[in-house]
Amino acid sequence: MSGLRRFGKLVLALLRELADENAYQRHLQQHGRQASGEEWRRFSEERLRAKYARAKCC
Amino acid sequence: MKLLGRLFWAAVACAAAFCLGGIALNRGEHINSIWLVLAAACTYAIGYRFYGRFIAARVMTLDDQRATPAERLRNGHDFEPTNKWIVFGHHFAAIAGPGPLVGPVLAAQFGYLPGTLWIIIGAVVGGAVQDFVILFASMRRDGKSLGQMAREEIGKVGGFIALVTVLLIMIILLAVVGLVVVNALKGSPWGTFTIAATMPIALFMGLYLRYWRPGKVLECSAIGFVLVMASIFTGQAVGQSPDLAPVFTLSAMALAVGIILYGFLASSLPVWLLLAPRDYLSTFVKLGVVLMLGIGILFVRPELQLPAFTRFVDGSGPIFAGKVFPFCFITIACGAVSGFHSLISSGTTPKMIARESHAWPVGYGSMLLESFVAIMAMIAACVLQPGVYFAVNSPAGVVGATPAAAVATISAWGFPVTVTDMTSLARDVGETTLFSRTGGAPSLALGMAHIFARSGGGQAVIGFWYHFAIMFEALFILTIIDAGTRVGRFMLQDLLGHISKPLGRTSWMPGVIATSALVVGGWGYFLIQGVRDPLGGINSLWPLFGISNQLLASIALCVATTILLKMHGAKFMWITCVPLVWLVSATFTAAWQKIFSPIPALGFLAQADGLEAALRAGKAANAAAAQTLIFNARLDAVVCGVFMVLVAVVLIDSLRVWAGILNGSREAQVNEAPFVLTQLRAEEL
Repeated sequence: MSGLRRFGKLVLALLRELADENAYQRHLQQHGRQASGEEWRRFSEERLRAKYARAKCC
Repeated sequence: MKLLGRLFWAAVACAAAFCLGGIALNRGEHINSIWLVLAAACTYAIGYRFYGRFIAARVMTLDDQRATPAERLRNGHDFEPTNKWIVFGHHFAAIAGPGPLVGPVLAAQFGYLPGTLWIIIGAVVGGAVQDFVILFASMRRDGKSLGQMAREEIGKVGGFIALVTVLLIMIILLAVVGLVVVNALKGSPWGTFTIAATMPIALFMGLYLRYWRPGKVLECSAIGFVLVMASIFTGQAVGQSPDLAPVFTLSAMALAVGIILYGFLASSLPVWLLLAPRDYLSTFVKLGVVLMLGIGILFVRPELQLPAFTRFVDGSGPIFAGKVFPFCFITIACGAVSGFHSLISSGTTPKMIARESHAWPVGYGSMLLESFVAIMAMIAACVLQPGVYFAVNSPAGVVGATPAAAVATISAWGFPVTVTDMTSLARDVGETTLFSRTGGAPSLALGMAHIFARSGGGQAVIGFWYHFAIMFEALFILTIIDAGTRVGRFMLQDLLGHISKPLGRTSWMPGVIATSALVVGGWGYFLIQGVRDPLGGINSLWPLFGISNQLLASIALCVATTILLKMHGAKFMWITCVPLVWLVSATFTAAWQKIFSPIPALGFLAQADGLEAALRAGKAANAAAAQTLIFNARLDAVVCGVFMVLVAVVLIDSLRVWAGILNGSREAQVNEAPFVLTQLRAEEL
């Protein structure tokens, strides 16, 4: 049961990573800020600018 | 290794050999798909456990005491030590595109065997090795890109050529995947409506994320997924509506123009509005569908209907011309060896690796999983009746423009099919016709629908599953088109910035519009060319894409060989040299034949000469169209030639460097970042 729970946590963590939600939490922690619309926009603009400057695989 | 372990691995090796032997030697009777699944899984397990481990331990000497760039340069954004399974999933999601799905479907024209063996062996010996070595090299060099490493390890020429090659590949890639979508949606109101609906859904998601629920990407994607599923159901009603169906029944040319306009808009609009929400959604859908397909195949265990070999190994194939060697090996790139993966392995991934040993499952293991996706695509294509497979994938220019002519031609090849079969199948999946739906996507969708429907729901839901599969393919192909156009624009602005400073600024709107138009114009030209091509476009564009992708892999393997040579001398060069020699042989042979073959269906120049002769003899029905086709064929020959020359330059440059290192006239300096002892604790992972 605990193995299944651990697997579920891992899957959720992967989805959060793919969704950039983990990166957002790290960003908030690093800058000591609270989540807000303004903060998300600042973070996502920087994140997406870097993300879409790289080639996407075929 | 303990005795039990040895016995286990001996059993896995025997199972791999038995299954590979089974699929290779079976003739004359249908084979169950589970043989392919087992052959692949057991070979991957052996490759991963022994070959991958050998490279990790003996060649790269991965050292967990050494701090990775994720730890040393940690910044919370790109550089962040991350759990290895999360990096694995992230890397797999980044490398898995339409290539491993479409390539095997097209290569199935040779039968299931050549493509299957290439996917399995190519991945274990070539693709996974390339991805792993480049990931390792980038990780030891602070996450440097392939271009930067090529410049440092080989020379300035290599770095510049890598950049130009990637830009050219992007142009061909975007055109060919655009053509796949066009051929999947032409004359299909259900499919067109579903895909059109994803645009407002993506816009809604963009606004939702930015203003209403900032940061709630998973929640937003779940809503987006529900809306997309609703659009598939609505699409069925639209397809049956006498008023709405004509609005969404578009010709190939209208769809091509629509996709070109979409690419331009998506490249110029703010990324958060359309591109990013669509990308999040398509990533989750992609992973979910791949998982579903895997479970579906295991559950249904369908029999393969295509034979091990077809008569088309001789080069007379209707889907694309050319013999099994070299064309099978360039048609399947992403499932076996893909140059594009080297860009991902030297992009985000090396900046997330927490421990050096994690590069083994991430670099080598992810490629094996990607290869497994290609095996699933091969199975999905081969579960179709051969006659149906060829009727869907053969262009009208080859089999005939009418259903009667097409079934007569295909049946004469020894693959019986009737007009009634095709009409009934089209009706079941909610399409007007399935004849000549080239590009691979419709036949893959048919195979997937067949597997999903047999898993539950039966024939009653096959139409839903067909359009679900089309939506899944089109959704992430369109994401590649908009992201690729944007990346192409950045690369072009980077190059043009050396000529005119304002053109290099990504915030200067006239520069953004001009460079977006140039990139869209580039791939849009090839897309229109594919739409107009009487042989269906795939015959010329997919081989061009395969050649360019494999040539990029050759560049990556040149870089990898140079690095191994500097680390160990000639001792371990063979690891990257074996796939390099194979790829260079296959791609240069294919490129040479595509340019100079005297067979018009194969050689671009022969095709142009044939059309010119017909024009001079007054036999061309439309002189202007013939002139365009002649120009296009010669342009394709030039593009193919440019790829060959660019890679030949990198190869010669690499050989010069290798000779210098081996005879001692050149210093074998390893450009790795200095060793720093890791401070990461186990609980931080």
